[in-house]
Amino acid sequence: MADIVQIPTVIPPLPPNWSPKPASGKSVSPLVDRKLIPAGPAYLAHIRRAVHNLSFEEHDKHVEAERKRLVELNGDGTGEDDLGVGDEEEAPELLLLDPKEWKKQDHYAVLGLSHLRYRATPDQIKIAHRKKVLKHHPDKKAGVAGDSNDDAFFKCIQKAMEVLTHPEKRRQFDSVDPYYELLEEDVPTASQIKSAKNPNAAFFSLFAPVFEREARFSRVQPVPLLGKYEDSKAEVEGFYDFWYNFDSWRSFEYLDKEVNEGSDNRDDKRYTEKKNKTERARRKKEDIARLRNLVDVALALDPRIKRIKQEEKEAREAKKKTKASTGPTKAELEEEKKRAEAEAKQKEEEEKVAKAEAKKAKAAAANAAKKARRAAREAEGGAS
Amino acid sequence: MAVNGSVPNGTAEAPIEVPALPTVIGVNFGNSYASIAEGLPESIANEDGERQIACAIAFHGEETYIGNQAKQQLVKNASNTIVGFRNLLGKKYSELPKDTATASAPVIQHPDITDEPAYKVQVLQASPSPLPSAVNTKTNTPAVSQTATPRSEPVLVDRVLTPSEVTVIFLKSLLQSAEDFLGKKVDGAVITVPSWFADNQLEALRKAAHAAGINVLQLLEDAGAAAVTTTSGPQAAGLNPDRTQLVVDLGASSLSLTLLSIRHGLFHPLASSFDPTIGGDQIDNKLIKFFAKEFTKKTKTPLAVCPSSDKADIRAEARLRLALEHTKRTISASPGAATCSVESLKDGLDFTGTINRMRFDMEARPIYSAVYSKARELVESVGLDFLHVDEVVYVGGSACLPGLDETLAQGYPESTVTAFASGTIVGGGVGDPTTLLARGAALQAKLLAEIGHSGEDEEVRRAFEQGSKWAAVKATSRTIGILFPEEGADAAGLGGQWIGVVPAETAVPVRRSLSFDVDLGDDAGEKKVGFEVWEVKEGIKVEKVKQPRDEDEELEEDEEEDDEIEVKEKTIEKDIHLASLVLTAKHAQKQKGRWRTKLEVQVLLGADGAVEISAWEVGKEGKGEKTSVSVPSL
Repeated sequence: MADIVQIPTVIPPLPPNWSPKPASGKSVSPLVDRKLIPAGPAYLAHIRRAVHNLSFEEHDKHVEAERKRLVELNGDGTGEDDLGVGDEEEAPELLLLDPKEWKKQDHYAVLGLSHLRYRATPDQIKIAHRKKVLKHHPDKKAGVAGDSNDDAFFKCIQKAMEVLTHPEKRRQFDSVDPYYELLEEDVPTASQIKSAKNPNAAFFSLFAPVFEREARFSRVQPVPLLGKYEDSKAEVEGFYDFWYNFDSWRSFEYLDKEVNEGSDNRDDKRYTEKKNKTERARRKKEDIARLRNLVDVALALDPRIKRIKQEEKEAREAKKKTKASTGPTKAELEEEKKRAEAEAKQKEEEEKVAKAEAKKAKAAAANAAKKARRAAREAEGGAS
Repeated sequence: MAVNGSVPNGTAEAPIEVPALPTVIGVNFGNSYASIAEGLPESIANEDGERQIACAIAFHGEETYIGNQAKQQLVKNASNTIVGFRNLLGKKYSELPKDTATASAPVIQHPDITDEPAYKVQVLQASPSPLPSAVNTKTNTPAVSQTATPRSEPVLVDRVLTPSEVTVIFLKSLLQSAEDFLGKKVDGAVITVPSWFADNQLEALRKAAHAAGINVLQLLEDAGAAAVTTTSGPQAAGLNPDRTQLVVDLGASSLSLTLLSIRHGLFHPLASSFDPTIGGDQIDNKLIKFFAKEFTKKTKTPLAVCPSSDKADIRAEARLRLALEHTKRTISASPGAATCSVESLKDGLDFTGTINRMRFDMEARPIYSAVYSKARELVESVGLDFLHVDEVVYVGGSACLPGLDETLAQGYPESTVTAFASGTIVGGGVGDPTTLLARGAALQAKLLAEIGHSGEDEEVRRAFEQGSKWAAVKATSRTIGILFPEEGADAAGLGGQWIGVVPAETAVPVRRSLSFDVDLGDDAGEKKVGFEVWEVKEGIKVEKVKQPRDEDEELEEDEEEDDEIEVKEKTIEKDIHLASLVLTAKHAQKQKGRWRTKLEVQVLLGADGAVEISAWEVGKEGKGEKTSVSVPSL
């Protein structure tokens, strides 16, 4: 327990004429006998030092070991596992949110999940909600703030939970997450990359996060990401192929204008609905165009395309070169021809010989058969 | 459906991972009230939702009432209600004062055991189940029972209970409440005891707890539990880890005061006192008299209370006493007036009276003043002054009364921290006097449960037992500190910046580390830091200061003498120069034209009285070179 006491005062400089006094050689005043009350962690530490005869430094180590042992016994030191939700402090403006304007609120920030956003799992959302409710429940605030009716933020929390636990509503909100809407606006530009010290590295460091966050809209998962400079041609082509044919689930229902429920006018409703529909379609179109534009910019700037083209060119040239420099000579060609001709001749002759022999064998066989037949007939005549 | 090892519905598996550490609780077992806690900021409530559980047991017919329900029985069933049994634990009948009149079941001599106090109560014994016939006949066939056929109605019988038997019943119910609340079996408990409990009393309590099924980890004295609570957890601002603490335990039946020296969580009592004549009951008596007078005034019905002799008066007094509980709580919680309502107080007449805080404090003033004078006596008995008390801790139900703090505040200086000043007394705050002890005991239980079970750890565990040899320590008698000489400082004074490092009454061995910024002046040459280590004499300077008065006031009371008020001040006087230390600053950095550096000083005071003082600079790259000087041992 080497807790160091911080003294707030600043020590003034030494007087110039001061010199250290020689030690007086005296000891401290006689010690008195006292009886400690056997309680508290400090007493435990004191006893440990006394029983084990440890110095303060040795005891520090012992305490560390003991702490580890207890952590093991307890599972983990903090107790419950919150799946990495953590405790996010609410920004003061967040606490002033109006639950009536729930469409405008950032549901992730309200639940303290702004570090996870679309990556938050349902379990994490549940834990985060519970944490926030424990903190902001109106029952809990009644005594503290004095104003027991201040449950606006609690309502915001409930609304956020409602949106985020409903898969469809959550997708709709994720589509227009205000945090990413802001990010979408600053897409890296050509001049930005060209003016960078190392345009090659700048391309990857600037575009990788852009594609990463766009990837969440893909119906097809996993999504090929930007990758690295050394990627092969197939990989790079696959990447652009995928992104040009990007199948996005992003939709814009969240931004729909409320249909005026109060009015019974059917035409009115239909009109609003129609307007919403066209608006959604327009937004979707814009979004597709935006993504396409983004991929276009990336493709135009991609140093890998340049590299691959360069490599292909080099390969072609190399091929040409090898053809020109290492082709076979005429003499060799003739020799080859001769050899082939000779081989063919030899083969022909061998075939001729084989044919003749076969003829001979056939004739001999026929003779033998004739002889045999004659002999048989004679024997037959003799017998009859 | 349980298919291929999948879990079927309704398995009894624990839903959460149960930590391997045992479940332990803290029990504050007072003479009048008890409370239980489990390391949480709030104590555990029993089945009736009470956090302060009255130490009372009542028998009514076949029923047994425990806690505040039993207290209600004091009105109509007083002779079968037992209260105040804790203090009788381990005592002999002959040791008890005989003349005390009680409204509850009287203490009598046990009919069978010599010199043993006991209570006699009347209970209805449940109708016994039919006795088994004599089973051990030789032929093993049913035989005729020798006993008469038992009666089927409950019988009124006398039951004699010793204080320890009553304690067992009560502790059992506490344990049951705790287990019901936690949903787990309790593996051990720390029980608080008053510091004046003798060994045989401790032994009796230990036995009773054992009989109640409680594994007693430690019997911790009240002041210790209070100190554990106040030294653990977040500390109030302005609270030094080295401080002198006055624990004021004003319970219903007694006052006990303890002056503790707390040194970085290690504490020992400097002095303690106990007075069974001052307590919340005295305040009750005053208030009962007050309300009885009001009742008589309103209804013209005579009501003689405290002491009361007539049967109707006794009952009326008991009724008032119960109703006052609520009045006192209201007074503690809010500055407004509190009511006391009793239906059919006497002769069928209802009573409703109100009392405001001023009137209440007026009634309770004699008790407050008695506490004040006792506290003063205690502090002065060890040669200290109220000025030295850095913190006042209130314990016990009656200590919730704000008037008590106001009375004591006349003595101690404004810098003293109390739960009232820091506003932690209400709403289950850290300073809540009613639950403070139970929480301290729970923290202690947790600490003890975490000690391992190896051979050496057993020795450590034994050190927590009463009267362990390890608890005896040596402590410093004077304050040791460091003095940074300063140019132009008052030569008559200390001549520099004084920082106390090891205060008097600190158990040795001790290590203290300090860290601070040092100003090295503005020249760029070699920069040195030096300081002297001194042992000092501390005292109190009393000055009489004339009260400045407004002019118009002066005109009116011209003839009166000038008011003189005493102003006390702590003084420090250099006594023994132990050593000096100089080191050259190498990691200084320039800030706003001045050279600055950070210095750490460590003082090690061994068990033999040897002191080692080390100092080093702390730069950006970590610790600088260490310079040490030592002082020989005694």
